[in-house]
Amino acid sequence: MFEAYGQDLKEVFENAAEALFNVICQIDKIEPKQEIEITVNGRNSEDLMFNWLQELILIVDTENMFFSKFEIKEIKEDGTYLKAVCYGEPASPEKGGTLVKAVTYYKFKLEKTKGGYKVRVALDI
Amino acid sequence: MVLRMKEKLQQISEFEWFLSKEVRDRMRVSAKIIANKTILNAIEDDAVQQLTNVACLPGVVEPVIGLPDMHWGYGLPMGAVGAFDAEEGVISAGMCGFDINCGINLIRTNLTYKDVKPKIRELISELFKAVPCGVGARGKLKLTREELDEVLERGVDWALEKGYVVEKDVEATEEHGRMEGADPSKVSDLAKKRGAAQLGTLGAGNHFLEVQRVTDIFDEAFAKKYGIVDKDQVTIMIHCGSRGLGHQVATDYLKIQEQAVKKYNIWLPDRQLACAPVNSKEGQDFFAAMKAAVNFSFTNKAVMTGWIRETFEKVFGHSWEDMDMHTVYAIAHNIVKLEEHVVNGKKRKLYVHRKGATRSFPDVPVIIAGSMGTSSYLLKGTETAMKKTFGSSAHGAGRAMSRNAAIKKFWGGKIKEELLEKGIVSQSTHPKILAEEAPKAYKDVEAVVDSVHGAGVSLKVARMVPVGVVKG
Repeated sequence: MFEAYGQDLKEVFENAAEALFNVICQIDKIEPKQEIEITVNGRNSEDLMFNWLQELILIVDTENMFFSKFEIKEIKEDGTYLKAVCYGEPASPEKGGTLVKAVTYYKFKLEKTKGGYKVRVALDI
Repeated sequence: MVLRMKEKLQQISEFEWFLSKEVRDRMRVSAKIIANKTILNAIEDDAVQQLTNVACLPGVVEPVIGLPDMHWGYGLPMGAVGAFDAEEGVISAGMCGFDINCGINLIRTNLTYKDVKPKIRELISELFKAVPCGVGARGKLKLTREELDEVLERGVDWALEKGYVVEKDVEATEEHGRMEGADPSKVSDLAKKRGAAQLGTLGAGNHFLEVQRVTDIFDEAFAKKYGIVDKDQVTIMIHCGSRGLGHQVATDYLKIQEQAVKKYNIWLPDRQLACAPVNSKEGQDFFAAMKAAVNFSFTNKAVMTGWIRETFEKVFGHSWEDMDMHTVYAIAHNIVKLEEHVVNGKKRKLYVHRKGATRSFPDVPVIIAGSMGTSSYLLKGTETAMKKTFGSSAHGAGRAMSRNAAIKKFWGGKIKEELLEKGIVSQSTHPKILAEEAPKAYKDVEAVVDSVHGAGVSLKVARMVPVGVVKG
């Protein structure tokens, strides 16, 4: 389980992605050599966060890559859409971490705080 | 002061504990835990609470079962069974488990540890090369969409055709490695994209490939039927599931079932128990997709069986047939089955959810895998299991410590040494992997097996210990 924070939606989404990959791989060893653009939809910003993390778990398998840097290029305030670029390199077991099967709804919450936003995520590992 | 759920358990025999449906509001049926006292003391209260949550669901059939390896999980604990009426009940992706058909294949050989010991390092090194494992490992097979659909529909029959396994392996597999009614069209493109390159990969986490030796034979007649005849006989165990494909199917249907709960107005004590009525479109779609993922997992292990045989041939210079490397049995332990059981004297069709639980049918092999470095067991199912647990038993040693806590306490390098001291050669993609799966992070498998044997649910046949481990 992890908690990620951000001053705005963009930041909390980027930090959540980093927190996720800190579990999936040894993120310090991953160089941002290649990039992939992804778009994600959602019903609201909490749903979008869930879909965003789930999409990242997915592309580890489909692109066989690990990522260490994330840039949210566009994100709608109502949480219906985001576009992001993810930077990383081809996956290799030596730089791998823990196999993450999925994001779960257990205590899953994206909420506004005094400083911006906070999200709590429990991963199925 | 809130009364903890465990305090409400009543002991009804040395290995059985009863939780009446009066212990909380809205429980429709009772729950029961199979465990000896030591295990029961170690079970988290939250996990017992979860059993009572499941007992609130529509169409649930008495009792909800907790097995001795039970621990807190998503909705239904790992190491638990929930059975639901085939008309009035619900079916749930969370109660099946994210790793659909995570299961175990046990393969025998006619080699003894004396034969294998001089070449064990070479063997483990070759197996590590032959069977891709670990997060980010590249699979050796890349299936086209059509081939993948075939695997999803036909399961192990596909592997048989391709020559990875032989007919006897198929017969020694639960469901003959192929659940009828699997529908590839109910598996999302995303799941297929994840799975297409993962057939024949071991994965990571608590998945492993072990070379083992038999230390004890408790039931000689039954063991002999399955070719286990000698102490020090070498066996092989594969513990693995449906990989990214299965995880995605579970995730996809969890989302669908979250919506189904609202649509069909199902009251849930816990959001994680999202489900759908068994005969709804959402319910049957999940069942058909789950079967496809089950077939993928059986095929995955069949492919690895073929490669393991090739590796042994390479290292020992005999054919696998000459080394009698046949499948003893292949079981599933995250699965939903439609089965007939006798409940209160009447035959009823039930959707039996076994999450971290195996089938335990009369005179059919059961396999309980210990955690890394500890023993595993071959057992046999019983009539008692049919009466007490819907024909189910434990699947392994449940986790006693969260993975993160395990890493903080145990550093991988030290564990490799500890394993070596026990005479176990291990190879993993990096040290953190060994730390996460340190034996002390798990409950004691001996106590788990003692409990199911004592309760008469599965009876010990043979015990094996690892001599070599490959982990991702």
